[in-house]
Formats: sequence, C-alpha cells, structure tokens
Amino acid sequence: MDYITGQFLVNLLMNGILIGLIYGLMALGLTLIFSVLGIVSFAHGEFYMIGGYVVYYLLQAFGNLEPMIAILIAGAVTFVIGVIFELLFLQPMGKGDIERPGEYAILLTFGLAFFLQHVMIGIVGPFPTKVDRFYDFAEIDWGWLRMKAATVWFFDMPISSSRLIATGVAVVLTALMIWFMSKTWTGRGLQAVSQDRQAASVVGINPSHMNTLAFGLGTMLAGMSGAALVTVFAWVPWVGMPASSKSFIIIVLGGMGSMPGALLGGLVLGIVESFGAGLYPDPSKALAYKDAFGLLVFALVLLVKPTGFFGRKL
Amino acid sequence: MKLEIKNITKNFGGMQALNNVELTIDKSEIIGLIGPNGAGKTTLTNVIDGVYKPSEGEVWLNDERIDHLPPYKIARRGLGRTFQVTRAFRRMTVMENMMVPAMAINPGAKRQNVINKAQGILEFLTFEHLANEYGRGLSGGQQKLLELARLLMLDPDFVILDEPFAGVHPTLQETIYGYIDKVRQEGKAIILISHDMDSIFTLSERLVVLDFGAIIADGNPQNVKQDPVVIKAYLGEDEEEDY
Amino acid sequence: MKRIPIQGVLLVLLLIFAFAFPRIMQGQPYWLYVALQSFFWAMMAASWALLAGYAGQFSFAHIAFMGIASYTSGILGRDLGWSPISGIILGTLMAGLVGVLVGYLCLRLRRTYLALFTIAFSEIVRLIINAEHEFTGGPMGLYMEPLLETTSYVPTYYIMLVALIVSLAIMYAIANSRLGLFLRSIREDEEAAAAMGVHVVRYKILAFVITSMIAGIAGALDHHIIGFIAPNELMIPRMSLVIAMAVIGGTESLISASLGAIFIHFAMEWLQKIPVPASWMPSLRENTATLQQFGLSLGEGYLQTNAWRMVLFGLMLMLTLRFWRNGLIQPLLEKIGRQGVAEETVAKRKFSQEENEIEGTEA
Ligand SMILES: Nc1ncnc2c1ncn2[C@@H]1O[C@H](COP(=O)(O)OP(=O)(O)O)[C@@H](O)[C@H]1O
Ligand SMILES: [Mg+2]
Repeated sequence: MDYITGQFLVNLLMNGILIGLIYGLMALGLTLIFSVLGIVSFAHGEFYMIGGYVVYYLLQAFGNLEPMIAILIAGAVTFVIGVIFELLFLQPMGKGDIERPGEYAILLTFGLAFFLQHVMIGIVGPFPTKVDRFYDFAEIDWGWLRMKAATVWFFDMPISSSRLIATGVAVVLTALMIWFMSKTWTGRGLQAVSQDRQAASVVGINPSHMNTLAFGLGTMLAGMSGAALVTVFAWVPWVGMPASSKSFIIIVLGGMGSMPGALLGGLVLGIVESFGAGLYPDPSKALAYKDAFGLLVFALVLLVKPTGFFGRKL
Repeated sequence: MKLEIKNITKNFGGMQALNNVELTIDKSEIIGLIGPNGAGKTTLTNVIDGVYKPSEGEVWLNDERIDHLPPYKIARRGLGRTFQVTRAFRRMTVMENMMVPAMAINPGAKRQNVINKAQGILEFLTFEHLANEYGRGLSGGQQKLLELARLLMLDPDFVILDEPFAGVHPTLQETIYGYIDKVRQEGKAIILISHDMDSIFTLSERLVVLDFGAIIADGNPQNVKQDPVVIKAYLGEDEEEDY
Repeated sequence: MKRIPIQGVLLVLLLIFAFAFPRIMQGQPYWLYVALQSFFWAMMAASWALLAGYAGQFSFAHIAFMGIASYTSGILGRDLGWSPISGIILGTLMAGLVGVLVGYLCLRLRRTYLALFTIAFSEIVRLIINAEHEFTGGPMGLYMEPLLETTSYVPTYYIMLVALIVSLAIMYAIANSRLGLFLRSIREDEEAAAAMGVHVVRYKILAFVITSMIAGIAGALDHHIIGFIAPNELMIPRMSLVIAMAVIGGTESLISASLGAIFIHFAMEWLQKIPVPASWMPSLRENTATLQQFGLSLGEGYLQTNAWRMVLFGLMLMLTLRFWRNGLIQPLLEKIGRQGVAEETVAKRKFSQEENEIEGTEA
C-alpha cells in the first residue's frame, strides 16, 4: 500500500469535496421538497437525469449555445415538469382527497421514477451519451498551478476541468438558493410553511401554492445538478438511480428537511466515497463498492439515529 | 388485584412530565384522575401501559414488576387502556376490530365463540347494527365506543380510560356510563381521566389530582374538592372544557 | 334457493383454464414460457401484497430476497454440486433467514424510513453480488443448473403453476387466520394493536420471513428454469414492476395482485411486438426514421415498442394510485362477487312478480 502518500490522501479529500459540493446542491432540492411537502421524492434522481439530457440535446441542436444558458434551460424544463406533476398528483394529497397519503407519496414518486426513466430510454435508447466539457482551460504554468484544456494540476494533483466547472456551477447555484431562501419574500414564505403550515396560512401565505413551488424548485435543483455534471459522467437513462440514492443518503445524514444538513451531508458523502474507493484494499473491487460505502453508512444512520445531524421528526 | 405505581418520574429531554408519582390501587373502584392540561395524565397512562419506560420508579401489577415489559405483555396480564385520540383499526370492520384482542390473549379461541361474545358486547353498547362497518366509517363518538368494545373483549382487571367523554354525544355518554357501571359491577378497577367534572364527581369513588406531574391530592372526592391546594391548582380555574 | 358463489365458480373455471393452457397453446411454446414467467411475477406480486397491503410494511427489498435465494441455490450447485431441488430449499431458507434480519432491523422504521432502508439494503445486496465476481459471477451473471433435463416448457409450466397455487393457498390461509388479523391490526396502528395484546414484534418479523421465503422460492425456481441469473435482475426498476403489478391488481387482495401480475406480464409480452395490419405497413415503412426517433422500430408485420410499454405501465401505476386506490382488478372481483347476490335477488323479484301477475292482483 505504498501508493498511500500524504498527497494521495489530500487528492482524495479534494476530489471528495469537489463532488460533494455538487451532491449538496442535488440534495438541497430533495430536502426542500421534504421540508415543505413532508414527502421524500423517489424520482429525484430522474430529474437529475433529465437535466443532463436537456443540456445534451440543446448543445447538439445548437452547437454554439452558451453552456450556462443550456443549464438554465435545463433548470426551467425540470421545474416545469415538477410543477405539472405536483399539480396533477400531489395537490390532491393536501386537499385530503387521498387516503393514506404517506404510502401514496412513496409509491407514486416511485412510479414516476420508473415512468421518467423509461420515457428517456424510449427517446434516447439504452446507449450512453457523452457531452464534451463546456470550456477549455487556457494553458498556464505557475508551478503550483498548471492548467491544460482538460486538466488542472493544483500542487501537482490532477483535477479534471469538467469536474471543476461543474463544481463552480454548483457553488454559484447553491449560493443563489441560499440567498433566495433567506432574503426573498417567497423564500421566507417557503421556510414559514415548512415550519408551521397553519401559522403560515394565517399570515396570508397559500400553503398549496408553496407546495407546488417547493416541488418545482426541488426538481429544478436536481435538474441543474444533472445539467452541470453531464460532462463529467457518461449519461444513461438510469443515471438517476444512484443519484437518487445519494440524495437520500445525504438528507438522512444531514437530517431530513435541514438545508445546512444537506450541504454538509453532501460533503461528507463525497469525501466518504472518495476515501472509500481510494483506500479499499482490493482496487479491482473498489469502484464496484464505491456506491456501497455510502449506502452502508446510510443504513446504519437510519437504524441508529434516523434524525441525522440536524434532523427533525418525520 | 393490585396495581402499584412506585415513585414514577418521567423526563422528556429536560422536561419533567411526571415527578415522583405514587399510587396504589388494590380493590375494585372507580378512580377519577384529573389535572390541568399538560399535567401528565396521558403520560402516566403510557408509563403504566408500557408505551414509555419510566425514567425512575417502578410499576407493579399483581406483585409482578411490569415497567420493563412491552405493552402487549402488560395487556395480556390484565391492564387495558383507551387512547385520548381514538385509534380504531380503520380498514377493519367493527367485528374484526373486536376479534383482535380476543384472539391475541387466547390463541386457542374458537372463532364462533369470539363472534358470539362480540355480538353480546355490541348489543350492550347499542352498536350491533354497525358490526360490519369499517372503522373509518364510524363517527368520532362511535370510534370511542369501539375502543370500549375492544376493551371488553380484552377483559382486563384494570382499565384506564383517557378522556372517554371528550367530543361525545350525550346519548353515547349514557352508554359509556353503562359501560363503566358494568365493568365496576364485574369487580374491576377503572381509572377515569376526564375534564368533565360532572361525570368525575358522579362516578368517582376516589379522586386523584395531578399537577405539573405530581400528585397533589388523593382521596375521597368530596374532601379533595375542598382541598385548598386543589382549588388553587385546578378547580379554582374556569371549569371550561379544554377541547 | 341457494346462493351461487360466483367467485368460486370463476375460480374453478380459472383453474381449469390454467391447467388446460398447455393443451390450448400446443405448438406455441413461446406463450407457454410467457405464462410460466408470469407465475413467477404473480408469486412476487402476491407476496409483496401480503407484506405491504396486509401487514403495511412497504418494503422495497422484495426483489433482493428473490435474488438471495436464487444466488444461494446457484452457487451451491456450482461449487458444491447440490441439486437444484436442495439448492432451492436452502436458498428459500436463506431468504427467510435474511428476512428475519431485515424484519428485525426494520422494527422501528416506518413508512418513508422503511422504504429508504429497504432500498439501501436491496442496493447493497446487488452491489455486493456485482463486486464479488469470483463468488457470484459478477455482472456477467451466474449459470444455474436447469431444473429439468427437458426442453419442453410443459413440465416447468406445471411446476410454476403448482408453486403459485400452493403459495397463494398458504398466503390466503395466513391472511384469513389470526395471523392475518394481527397483521392488519399492525398495519392500521401498531401501538393500539400492542395495547390489545398483539405481539407486534413477532408478527412483523414473521410477515417479513414468510413473504421473503415466497419471493425466494419463486426466484430460485424460476432462475433454475431460465438457467441463468444476473445482478441487474435485482435492480430497482424490477422492484417497481412488482409494485406496479400488485398495485394495479389490488394490494389488499392476494388473488387480485397475482392476476394483475399475470395480466401485466402477458400485456408486456404482447406489446413488445404489436401486430400491424398489412395495409398499414407501407405508410409505416415510409416513416421508419421518425418511428426510430421515438424509440419504436418496425418489423415484418409488427411494431416493436421497446421501452414504451414500460412507460405505459409506469403511467398506469401512477393513475391507479391516484384514482383507484384499491387497484383495477380487486374492485372488479368484488363487483362480480356482489353481482352473484344481486342477480339472485333480481331473479327472486322477477319470480314473485310473475306470481303476482298470475294471481292477477295487479291492475
Ligand atoms: N412524547 C413526548 N415527548 C415530549 N414531551 C411530551 C411527550 N408526551 C408528553 N409530553 C409532555 O409532557 C407533559 C404532559 O403531557 P400529557 O401527559 O399529555 O398531559 P395531560 O394528558 O395531563 O394533558 C406535557 O407538557 C407534554 O408536552
Ligand atoms: Mg392527556
């Protein structure tokens, strides 16, 4: 195990943080949905998947479209799909038209995931697609920082530039989301509803509108994370399944419904995965087990402390 | 028959819901348990029933310590309770609701015998026309009756009724009175938690007052009623319904 | 006049049809194979209905138990030379054993948390099978010794049919026994059930064990018939399919859930290649490119729907949940059951009317 050097560890940490910041954005959407609607959407990863495909198709159709615009459009598309779904299927829950709403939400979003996945398989087929990195980096060599089109070396540690760009996008979007939730009237309305629906409706906020908005925003965040990451991973219609699992892991780690928890949970998961895969004794299996580490931590947290770091009761 | 509650304290986080509660019931009687909202009455029920483990103290039933036992064992040993918020099995018929306790306490019970017994109870509770109705199809008051019907099937020696009259129609209230009478006639003990002072003073043979998790009075209802501490803590306030 | 139990008559007819099916389908082994596969799904859906619909445990690990039993049997056969029969028995016991574990771990988890935990468990099982390739064959899958030394599907059809009937009978008996009563009370309200003396822990675990074993035996039998299993058969969308079948059939009725599964499996096979009238072919052929863009492909005299049939079932699942909470088949069966009574009373009324007319009391 002589490949385990200090630099190797720092590299693992850095990669973990980079991906963890994107996970955080994705999970932010799920936690927002949970905090306002009180449900976990099992189709969260499918919105992530759709976000990626929207960018893929846009860039294919309009070769010189600015990638950032494509990401915004992906957000808009997933927002609209989320809103339509919420209005058609989740609104009746709030009105008391649905018996046993807890089970309903679980099975329904599970069905939605299945549905969206197969719609995409129908459209794009089962073959992976790949999107080229959004931007080439300029060539620089400052010693501690070297850059080439596809790679950046930070103190000789290589980082793929697509990953760096994706993380950059995720950080900006996360910051915008935090600003939106804390500074705008609508964001505060969402928070108010998540804390006390009745009190919120007394002060003139319509909780059912807030449900729709929260669901749309949640799916939008998933879609935009997918849009940002589509250059990093090969994209297939079931790419959303591990993304869903990761989001579940994160919001349970961070505490269901907690926004800071989601961001912290994202970082933790990114780092755990990175170290788990990097340090697993049998490298031939390390990659195969990468997703299992997070799930194992997840299962344990569910059993031991289902409320997570900053949790509140379900 | 004997139910002993010894020095029970129950904390929720930093909040002390029960503080050193001592109570012994060793004969058939109707015990009114009153106290302001949040005094700890439901918590005490849950501790006796095994839903909560006490932070300190012990509960003994017929010379057996039960505070570490799970609720289903306590139920089988002869302690039954209703819930303040009714908990009918909603997607089961009234008859099926009633079969659950009978089958649970007696694995060898014959179905037909159970049904016959249930029918008798339903008639007593003026409820027989609803035998095949689903739990979710009952009104709030009928669900309370259903809980009593299930209790009669369980047939425990000690019964705790948590707010049986809250939100109940006067005619149903009569039926509940009839139930309490019947159980008392059968030589069992009843702990009756209620905000309805008329019922409490009509029915109770003994009155226990909880305030801030502690028992501040325990004795003959007429004496307790005059107790200045009680008047100050509870009876002196408006006697309005909390629900 | 005696009441005619229409449901009983239907059941007998259904059984006769099922046993005669190989004769009806003589020379069409493909549909026989489809039928025996549908029995596998029926066992999966019905046992999930018992676990979710009766006991209220919405577990997503059902497909994992199927896989655990199949892999146990396959590996025992490959490494220790066990016969399929003994492998299937041990595999089923293994599924039951893991069922105890999962049931125990899930005791405190409700609804969303239970769903999340069972998904995690299921995924961990799949990832381990994927990763431990020396042992499990990894992503390439595992060959399983064929159950019978014959290429005819007739005997295997009957084996699966009998397995389905026996497991349905067992589950039906359970559902209508004290155990079934307790499971439903637990589904409705665990605390109230416990206060009524129900040993919640024991029955919840028992529900997991029984249903896991039925999923296990279904899987082990079926994969010995197929002769192969791969980890992607444990993927979540396959679990979704089981759920879709049970929900569309009706989760609170075992027979409805299994009929739902059989129906959907047949529909899925049929929809794979939809026959197209010859007169349509030319115009369809002109638009081959457009069809392909939408994920459809054209064959000689049929249209291949590929993923779109799944889309249909996903949509059906959502719509059923939204508008028909008791499923599509369950209410139908109930209606037929009531029809029997209704017809009888209608007949009686007619009869008495005739009497009236004969007596001439009517003006
Ligand atoms: N599970 C619990 N967790 C935290 N606090 C609780 C819990 N159950 C009851 N309490 C608190 O204990 C106190 C006593 O409640 P309760 O027993 O319901 O009162 P009562 O039935 O006399 O109205 C209340 O302050 C209540 O908020
Ligand atoms: Mg109370």
